[in-house]
Amino acid sequence: MIGMSRAGLAERWPLFIGAALTVSLGVALVQSSLLLLISAATFHAPAGLPVVERMRVEEGAEIAVALLGITLGFSAFLAIFVISSTFGFTVAQRRRDLALLRLVGASRGQVRRLLLGEAVLLGGFGAATGIPAGLALMALQTRLLRTLGFLPGAFTARWHDWIIGASIGTGVALAVAGVLVAARRAGRVRPLEALRDTGAAARVMTLGRWLSGLLFAGGAAAMVIVSPHAGPSGGQALAMNVAFCSALACAAFAPLLIPAVARLLPAGGVLGGLARANLRDGRRRSASVAAPVIVLTALVFGQLGAAGSFAAAGVAEQRRSTAADLVVESTGPISVRVPGVASASAESELPASLTTGSGEEAETDTVSVLVIDPAAYATAHPGGGSLGGLTGRAIAGGDGVSAGDTVRLRVAGVDLGTLPVVATTPQRISGGESLLLPAGLVPAALLADAPTRTFVTLASGADPAAARAALERRGRVLDVDDWLAADSAARDRTNARIFLIVLGLGALYALIGVVNSVVIAAAARRREFAAARAVGLTRSQVIRAALLESAAVTTAGLVLGAIAAAATFASVLAVTSAVTGRATLDLPWAQLAAIAAVAFVVTSLTSVWTSWSATRPAPVTLLGAGE
Amino acid sequence: MTTLTSQRTAAVSLRGVSRVYGRGSAAVRAVDNVDLDFPRGGWTAVMGPSGSGKSTLLHCAAGLERVDAGRVLLGDTDITGTGDRELTELRRTRVGFVFQSFNLIGSLTAEQNVALPLRLAGRRPPKAEVRAVLAAVGLADRARHRPRELSGGQQQRVAIARAMVTRPEVLFADEPTGALDSTAARIVLDLMRAMADGAQSIVMVTHDPAAAARADAVVFLRDGRVVDRLTGARPGEVADRLVALER
Repeated sequence: MIGMSRAGLAERWPLFIGAALTVSLGVALVQSSLLLLISAATFHAPAGLPVVERMRVEEGAEIAVALLGITLGFSAFLAIFVISSTFGFTVAQRRRDLALLRLVGASRGQVRRLLLGEAVLLGGFGAATGIPAGLALMALQTRLLRTLGFLPGAFTARWHDWIIGASIGTGVALAVAGVLVAARRAGRVRPLEALRDTGAAARVMTLGRWLSGLLFAGGAAAMVIVSPHAGPSGGQALAMNVAFCSALACAAFAPLLIPAVARLLPAGGVLGGLARANLRDGRRRSASVAAPVIVLTALVFGQLGAAGSFAAAGVAEQRRSTAADLVVESTGPISVRVPGVASASAESELPASLTTGSGEEAETDTVSVLVIDPAAYATAHPGGGSLGGLTGRAIAGGDGVSAGDTVRLRVAGVDLGTLPVVATTPQRISGGESLLLPAGLVPAALLADAPTRTFVTLASGADPAAARAALERRGRVLDVDDWLAADSAARDRTNARIFLIVLGLGALYALIGVVNSVVIAAAARRREFAAARAVGLTRSQVIRAALLESAAVTTAGLVLGAIAAAATFASVLAVTSAVTGRATLDLPWAQLAAIAAVAFVVTSLTSVWTSWSATRPAPVTLLGAGE
Repeated sequence: MTTLTSQRTAAVSLRGVSRVYGRGSAAVRAVDNVDLDFPRGGWTAVMGPSGSGKSTLLHCAAGLERVDAGRVLLGDTDITGTGDRELTELRRTRVGFVFQSFNLIGSLTAEQNVALPLRLAGRRPPKAEVRAVLAAVGLADRARHRPRELSGGQQQRVAIARAMVTRPEVLFADEPTGALDSTAARIVLDLMRAMADGAQSIVMVTHDPAAAARADAVVFLRDGRVVDRLTGARPGEVADRLVALER
């Protein structure tokens, strides 16, 4: 069968360019991310760095590991999605050929093996091109992680020889995983279908499609329902992931939904009518073209919208929980004995390693602790819960620890021993501080180097300018509103960088998927185009009708993608309402417009190009009998 | 109509076979309670107006379509309720198909197309065997061409070679000359005539009286039923009979 697979691929290579590219990109990304992940996970800050600096570097490396992990999972998911939709689509287009094989004596197993053989060849090709591409990508990714500040300049990725075997395995596994469903469907093609002119009789909404659609819709609904009860970080993670499920559900139901959406579009003239009829008739094809647009829109619009909303909710929350006039930023605590200052809360940030549990279950994390004066802190941050017990050897915990626990703490390399947790800080959508330490616990020498912000409240009737001038000598002074804005902007920047990497990747895959499905769709329509021309349409009219059709499908894909993103937004509203008490939604309309523009440009160009080349031969050569 | 002898010698027998499409008032009886024997070693043509059920009859007889009532026998084997595995085996060894639209696999050369049924059955046929079958249809010099490099008549001859390479008991042909010009059609019919003279059983559906006249016997179908039969007729007689049916 492998010979048949090879011949089939060679014959229909344009149909498989997209899948080959996807496997290749998938292999390259998985290989590069895996090597970088291992290197980052085992990375040790160079000796000789100050302890505080060293912990910061290691904290950055941890974020890089998480980010690489997401990249790895994301690229595998999208690669399988694009490959499976490619093969699902080619099986639908090749029903006649597959039925013919059955007619001359191929068993169901042989047809399945034919497709698996194609997948293995494709996987091998993907690995062969993906391994060298992965090397180039690793250099690029390293530079990106360095410039974005996740990894220090001293970081280098190490090559492991076994990665070649792993990459070949990845290529084949990605391709085979993508083809499994299509192979099953191919095995069910009946021999008699070879004698019908088109495979149009094939049911579009198969049982499998219904089941997977309902499964993903159910998953999305479950995540929306559970998310407000999962705490700030759990809820945010769930809300972000709703988009994956709802996008797949919308893609599965696309054959039902697209004609409904297309009916809403204006259809003027004979070309409009033709495009609309084609859309209704070729529901399978329309759904395949729309699927990547749906996924692209749902992921980018949904996740950017969720991230933006959570950031906005975090800013609003922090504004409500901060009662101060000025913020002074300095290195180490400063003296605020300045005329006009009513109260001041100095808060120094230090990296620490926190061990919870004991014996077998002990778990150590790198966290950020805030060294504070409990009384002043409570004044500057109203609604922060009771910190009355926070004196002597005691700490207040946030995410992951709760009052009554005992933890072991090393702050910036200094072991503070075991400490009781006496209070819990309220959960914040912006993450907040994980641990609060009373100032007496930490040696003054450590604090001297720690970045410190001091929230200053001025006495009524004080001269703000004079107080400000006095404080300027001790650090950088900001109005509290300016500081809040700057703080959220800094957080946004980090988020934006992470999204740049992860979503950029998703968008790239989705675009490959879009181009791919338009190419496949047009390749199978040469005869149809020829028939239209024989009826009297000019070549440019055929191309225009195809363009109209692709624009309609793209619109439907964007609408369905926005509907899928709306599921994420429902979850965002529920989570922000549960955590901060105010439902918040801040949607990235500009980005949505950008997605729409890119989708239209890409599908239109591809459609014109493919229908132009499909109509190049004279119609009569395609209308004759035969294949 | 059915004698014991004819049953023993029949290549394919249909016993009370019906095939209904649709349900309720929209139901169409494409094949309606047909009893028919296709003799072993003979060439039978099935004719009838459009929609008379001749293609459905062929599909039922070849085990491509399930029947709603009655039995289908291939030689001594009852294939009426056979599972997919057995039908696959049957297609590999005992029956061959030729269709109007050639149905060659575009990515394979002529000889690869011909060798395909044997390869699917797990055999590696010697090149000489495949070449010999191609030579028998007059295409020894076209072995390495792909279907799109061949004329319609040549493609159909490759399809016949592919059907014959397994030495099937019965060759089923659905409008084998329907897409060919008259010269190419004559070559294909000559080939089939020679095969029938060599004791190959052939069942052919056609609407072309000239093609039907080459067969040993012609069966006429209307509204899913066998309405007439001719043996050794000339094209003119076949055409007259067909016109009478369409009236």
